[in-house]
Amino acid sequence: MKRLLPLPLPLLLLMLFTAGARAEPASYVLDPERSFVHWEVLHFGTSTVRGRFGPVAGEVSLDRSAGRGAVSLRMVTTNIDTGVRPFNSRLREADLLASSEFPEAYFVATRFRFEGGKLAEVRGEFTLRGVSQPLSLNARRFGCRTETERDGGREICGGDFEASFDRSDFGMTFGLPWIANRVRLLIQVEGRRS
Amino acid sequence: MSYSPLVVAAALLAGGTAAAAPYAIDPTHTFVSFDASLFDLSTARGRFDRKEGSLDFDPAARSGRAEIEIDTTSLNTGVAALDRLLQALLDTEHHPSARFVGERFSFNGDKLAEVAGTLTLRGRSQPLVLKATRFDCYLNPLLLRRVCGGDFEATLVRSEWGLAGGTEVGLAETLRLMVQVEAIKP
Repeated sequence: MKRLLPLPLPLLLLMLFTAGARAEPASYVLDPERSFVHWEVLHFGTSTVRGRFGPVAGEVSLDRSAGRGAVSLRMVTTNIDTGVRPFNSRLREADLLASSEFPEAYFVATRFRFEGGKLAEVRGEFTLRGVSQPLSLNARRFGCRTETERDGGREICGGDFEASFDRSDFGMTFGLPWIANRVRLLIQVEGRRS
Repeated sequence: MSYSPLVVAAALLAGGTAAAAPYAIDPTHTFVSFDASLFDLSTARGRFDRKEGSLDFDPAARSGRAEIEIDTTSLNTGVAALDRLLQALLDTEHHPSARFVGERFSFNGDKLAEVAGTLTLRGRSQPLVLKATRFDCYLNPLLLRRVCGGDFEATLVRSEWGLAGGTEVGLAETLRLMVQVEAIKP
């Protein structure tokens, strides 16, 4: 069974921004060449295994002056890539990512926290393997630039985020405790203004 | 995976006598990854998929030697255009391999602190220090072999290896290297 987003993002954004005054949220579509989720898991307490999901697809709406935003990210779990093919296949199996039953993972958030005008945290819900849990992304950095005229001259906003969760919270207990429960996510996102 | 008792016994016997043989790097648990900041905005990450190497480690004598050779054409960020750009920067056509040889192991108490050595990249050899985030040896219960492994980090200043270019993606002058190593006793 494929879990659908609780509400379509445009509706979510409409509800969020019509509630406020005449806020002017800007919309961004994620750049597939600059949007990836990398993960790290400790192996036998000794070395760190790394892998990635991506490119991540999604939309972001941001009203920096009002300090608000909304984000919707989608990851295809079948394209998990560790650089080791048998390991990728093993991770897609039913007791881990269960990719055939749950081919996508989602992150949806409407709670943006700014500190002194800077984006500090995005709190939302992460759905993986059909299980939804709260997840908070901490912004390591976030900013905007204008691309060159040749590339279209549009505004690009993006940054680096970090999050972590226990994989057992999503029903993935294989290999515990040799393969750690804690999963660290390193998220690169860049969105081009629509 | 399953191992016959005979294979296990042979492995244990070999492990008891072959103290001098170097550990062979396990390519499925050994990766050189890197963080590359683009336009000071976000961080692209990549890794090299093909590598081989060996590790000699004597905790009692506090000495060791690590050697890892990387196929630079196996650079993989998940973005074909970025792979091409970075491979051009490394001139992988003329320099399809890079090599790190670490010969100076320093310790902080009983813990391995860093491995200093030489990185040869794009045909140029320069000193590089890998700082150990963690390092340990253990008996792997699946392989029934002794495994030594850890995580290392280094900062690579591009100009020291003549890695010019990358302005079209706003590539930062310094790259962060993250090295995962696991090596199995023969």
